[in-house]
Amino acid sequence: MHADTDHHLLPSAPPHRLLRRLAWGLAAAVGALVVLSATLGSGESFETVISIFSTRFLGIFIEAAPFLLLGTVVSGVIDSFLTPDDIARLVPRSPLLATVTGAFMGFVFPVCECGVVPVVRRLFGKGLPMWVGVTFLLAAPVMNPIVLVSTYVAFGAGPVLVGRFALTAVVAISVGLVFALGARPQEVLRPRSFAPITGGSDDVIPLYPARKPLGRGLRDALRQAGDEFFEMGRYLVIGSLLAAGMQTLVSQEVLLALGRGPAVSVIAMQALAFLLSVCSTVDAFLALAFVGTFTTGSVLAFLTFGPMVDVKSTLMFLGVFRPRIVAYLIVLPLLMTLLAGVWLNLNVAF
Amino acid sequence: MQAVERHSDHHHDHAREAVQAWVKTAILFGLAAYFAYNILSGNLSNYINERFAWLSYVAVALFGLLGAAGAAERLRGGHTHHHHHDHLSWPALAVVAVPLVLGTLVPSRPLGSAAINGNISLTVATGAAVTTFASDPSQWNVLDWLRAFNNAGDPASFDGKAANVIGFVYREATFPEDTFMVARFTISCCVADAVAIGLPVVWPGADEIPQDTWVRVQGAFQTGSFRGDTVPVLRAASLEIIEQPEHPYLYP
Repeated sequence: MHADTDHHLLPSAPPHRLLRRLAWGLAAAVGALVVLSATLGSGESFETVISIFSTRFLGIFIEAAPFLLLGTVVSGVIDSFLTPDDIARLVPRSPLLATVTGAFMGFVFPVCECGVVPVVRRLFGKGLPMWVGVTFLLAAPVMNPIVLVSTYVAFGAGPVLVGRFALTAVVAISVGLVFALGARPQEVLRPRSFAPITGGSDDVIPLYPARKPLGRGLRDALRQAGDEFFEMGRYLVIGSLLAAGMQTLVSQEVLLALGRGPAVSVIAMQALAFLLSVCSTVDAFLALAFVGTFTTGSVLAFLTFGPMVDVKSTLMFLGVFRPRIVAYLIVLPLLMTLLAGVWLNLNVAF
Repeated sequence: MQAVERHSDHHHDHAREAVQAWVKTAILFGLAAYFAYNILSGNLSNYINERFAWLSYVAVALFGLLGAAGAAERLRGGHTHHHHHDHLSWPALAVVAVPLVLGTLVPSRPLGSAAINGNISLTVATGAAVTTFASDPSQWNVLDWLRAFNNAGDPASFDGKAANVIGFVYREATFPEDTFMVARFTISCCVADAVAIGLPVVWPGADEIPQDTWVRVQGAFQTGSFRGDTVPVLRAASLEIIEQPEHPYLYP
């Protein structure tokens, strides 16, 4: 009966509640900051501060919302009309080629980081090689047409756009190859990820439902898109509030002190990306708020590490991979994007 | 097992879920209306580069479509048994409504002098497209002039050149009495990347013009000292107070 459920891989309610509390904490902190500094600091009147804050916040939201909507509609349509067989057929036999294909499959099967985990899990059920799935998991949130356009709108055709896609491909393929060489599927995946192959139990994801008729498929797609907009819209709103609050309230000197350090800035932006969990289709617009004050390497790290791993996706990883493997999935991209960010800051003049 | 739990959950919260579904639909329609209002009123140019205005048309269409799909679903009698996500809490729904609240309650204004806070630039990064500005210097805007200064290197080469620019008045306490800056914000994507730029202007009544007043300044450049740098300073021959232009920002 829950044949078309797919976002419920979160094993139980507690992580959700945790997330909710985290989101609330963040929102409350931003709100408190706005009110506090508006009343205490800066010599500007309350109205002026609110007006500037509101303009900055709405600027990010207005530019980002269309991409979030496109992302949710596309993922709804894919969910209704494409089956994992369609992807599985794309994958070549040679391990190396398969891994590279995994990095680029997002262009045919665009999913953001919230949609990618259920898809990968179903692909594993279909017999996709584990390491190809890992590569797809890390790459797909960035390597897809929607993110290509949103990053272009935010940054133009420049080093950030190129760097974001190149670095994501390199990290995803490298981590995939590490898994290909060093790990066995049984050691990586939680037992229930194999369930459809091994016979399964009550609790497994069901076989993928048959293709739906057009009308019903579209209806389901739109309904799912609507729900997903609210799921992910929260993160966008909270992230935009934070970015606008930072630009409006935190002094330039403080930001520069943190944002100019070639290593510190990268770590700070990675932490922010992990905590904010903003959807990869719109994170480029948040990153814009940091461009003047933070190093380019740190902005790139934000745009590459965030889509691969954040609070939200970590919780979902835990439903598919063994905990030790989740640690690898966090640490490897973290270190690689950190190294790349710091190296770029030290060696490349943007 | 899991299915049984879900089922009873739904039974329990059925009424709440129905109300939430309508609230979601209302928010979606509200956002469609807000985006449409921004386009129609021209407020959109307070927020984003007009190159990307088409994105807001997309947003109106998609918000409307999702809202309509939600309403149709409810009118058909709901779908609760295969609901996709755990219920959102009310506060979570309220978060998504924040843009609607700020957009309707806070009057829409472009960034002005209060957003500059000392952080205004007399130079611009020279991109590749430096030669694209209008060929007639009397048509150049603030950004075009700064680019030309950047390219030329020697500020004295602009002595005597006539200019006719618009911008808003920006003054700091440290400026001499007869000096202000005619300022603009440049944005590439949206106000998140706004950068303030400006030309120093000398005009005898400078201290009488309030901050943020939009003005048209005509005059000629003369090398002078401003904030410790030797730069072309615009000596105004005439100054006219104007309406805020339709597009308050410059798009580099």
